[in-house]
Amino acid sequence: MTSYLQIDGVTKKFGDFTALEKVDLSVRKGEFVTFLGPSGSGKTTTLMIIAGFEKATHGDVLIEGRSISRLAPHERNIGIVFQNYALFPHKTAAENVYFPLQMRSIARSAGLRKAQEMLSLVGLEGMGGRYPKELSGGQQQRVALARALVFEPSLLLLDEPLGALDKNLREQMQIEIKRIQRTLGVTTIFVTHDQSEAMSMSDRIVVFEKGRIEQAATPLDIYHRPATRFVAGFVGESNLVPAEIKDAGGVAESAALGACDFEPAEPVSPGDNVTLLIRPEHIRLSRKPIEGRKNVSMHVDTIVNYGDNSLVIGRVGDLQMRVRVLGADVVIIKEGEDCCVSWLPESVYAIPAA
Amino acid sequence: MRMLGVVVVIFIAAPLLIVVPMSFSSARSLQFPPPGYWLGYYQAYFTDLTWLRPTWNSIVIATATMVLTMVLVVPATFALVRHRFAGKSIADLMMLMPLAVPHIVMAVGYYSFLGEYRLVHTHIGVVLAHTCLSVPIAFLVLSANLKGFDRTLERAAQSLGASPIKTFIHVTLPILRPGLVISALFAFVQSFDETVVAIFISGRNAETLPRKMFDSIRQEADPVIAVISTLLFAAVLLALLAPAGWKGIRSRLRARTPPTAITTGR
Ligand SMILES: Nc1ncnc2c1ncn2[C@@H]1O[C@H](COP(=O)(O)OP(=O)(O)OP(=O)(O)O)[C@@H](O)[C@H]1O
Ligand SMILES: [Mg+2]
Repeated sequence: MTSYLQIDGVTKKFGDFTALEKVDLSVRKGEFVTFLGPSGSGKTTTLMIIAGFEKATHGDVLIEGRSISRLAPHERNIGIVFQNYALFPHKTAAENVYFPLQMRSIARSAGLRKAQEMLSLVGLEGMGGRYPKELSGGQQQRVALARALVFEPSLLLLDEPLGALDKNLREQMQIEIKRIQRTLGVTTIFVTHDQSEAMSMSDRIVVFEKGRIEQAATPLDIYHRPATRFVAGFVGESNLVPAEIKDAGGVAESAALGACDFEPAEPVSPGDNVTLLIRPEHIRLSRKPIEGRKNVSMHVDTIVNYGDNSLVIGRVGDLQMRVRVLGADVVIIKEGEDCCVSWLPESVYAIPAA
Repeated sequence: MRMLGVVVVIFIAAPLLIVVPMSFSSARSLQFPPPGYWLGYYQAYFTDLTWLRPTWNSIVIATATMVLTMVLVVPATFALVRHRFAGKSIADLMMLMPLAVPHIVMAVGYYSFLGEYRLVHTHIGVVLAHTCLSVPIAFLVLSANLKGFDRTLERAAQSLGASPIKTFIHVTLPILRPGLVISALFAFVQSFDETVVAIFISGRNAETLPRKMFDSIRQEADPVIAVISTLLFAAVLLALLAPAGWKGIRSRLRARTPPTAITTGR
């Protein structure tokens, strides 16, 4: 993998507090990488170090093999979209987009023409004359995106750009950002703490926790083969069951579930402590045990109806389990009853203990 | 609530209702209601050097005070609002000190202090004293504006390729312009309006308009005072209405221009 952006052992301390600890990451040219993690996990700090607004205590940031750590922010040629858009209120949309070109001494007429082209690309044809306060949140977002892209930056950074938008607009902008990013082929780092956003948009997701990178992998790998218990719990819904390996070929034993078959993805050896991950949507609910699946009996405590699906929360022994049921399947069961839950061995993933 | 508003408006308007008619009065001294009306006192004001000279003095002194105040306050405000340093809270307090000290105390102080440097009765002396009084007001206005300034705008500008200096010129300054204009205006008005210190130190040479008016009302109650008051009120009204009027004109112009041509903005 040839890396375009390289973050090399970056540590950041604010006084005694370590906000980032030995962060390593390399990003390919044209890749769309998402930083995902809980509040305070160091996503913004990493972005600000790349952009040059914060200085790393240790470590280095390189673009195409050259260190950019000594460059001032305005010398880095990196486009940023901030959460609150940060449009200049005293400039029209077109002037905002022209600004980076103006700073690069491009003549006003040519620059404004380019700005208008960029505004068309983000779907704001003919709105160049409006001031930011005359635009809706989604439109301001598009102007900010156009402004961060018009000067052909070597990198595009977006810090929770969709945080302030409502759900529909958010989904629309997710698709739009993806489309524009693909059209221009710009290497992009996108920060969010919305996991479905991360799933749907990214080539790769980097999960942050307490200033460290827990895992950097494709969305599918993050979801199906989480590297740590934290990732499994943070991304998507999960049932996490502590267990001990009995057979390296794929049998683990847990107090609540008994012997449980799984398909080992990583090599394991008997006696290893692992956490078994079973996603709620991979579990089936039935009256009677189903042939060819691991079956256990569950007492149903709560059923939450979401319309197109329901969440069934129950207990297997003293282990709480969550089951996602599509559509009307849930009619067969009521709160307070006992039923059978089952899954296939390939739906069980064993997370190695750290 | 509405009653309160009415009372406030009446209290503000009442002096005007008396002063404006008196300025057109034909009486020999200030008298209400006026026995008759003419424009003689307006003519008197605009031809009498003993009135025009203090007016000019006041304009010069207020302008100089405004400039000096801004030169001091702009960097000081940036330092105090944006940076932390040892002794910051003391510096903050010192900036506001003159507001807390009675003008009469300040006036006596200036009289003896400036006397030592032979600056009593000079324009420079009055400008220095007035600047001390204007600094806290300008500082209060500007620091409120600067605290509300969103610094991510500056970060955005830098990420877009603007050096710190260009960021200041193209982003910080234009966005702070209303705050700068208002604090400069307050500095100007403070000086133009100031009487106590002016009575003590302006003397004959640097006599300001408020001082001249005070002297005049004590001696003869010259109706020219009402003329000046009316003119000042008119000037303030104009200054207040001008921005709104300008906005109206501009938006009408913009509405008439076809949308594709208005990329250049203000
Ligand atoms: N200037 C600073 N001084 C001291 N601590 C800071 C500073 N900036 C950030 N931190 C701390 O560093 C940690 C990481 O902050 P960061 O802003 O990177 O989190 P984040 O992952 O972006 O969170 P969020 O999702 O809430 O935006 C936090 O605990 C924060 O309090
Ligand atoms: Mg953040």
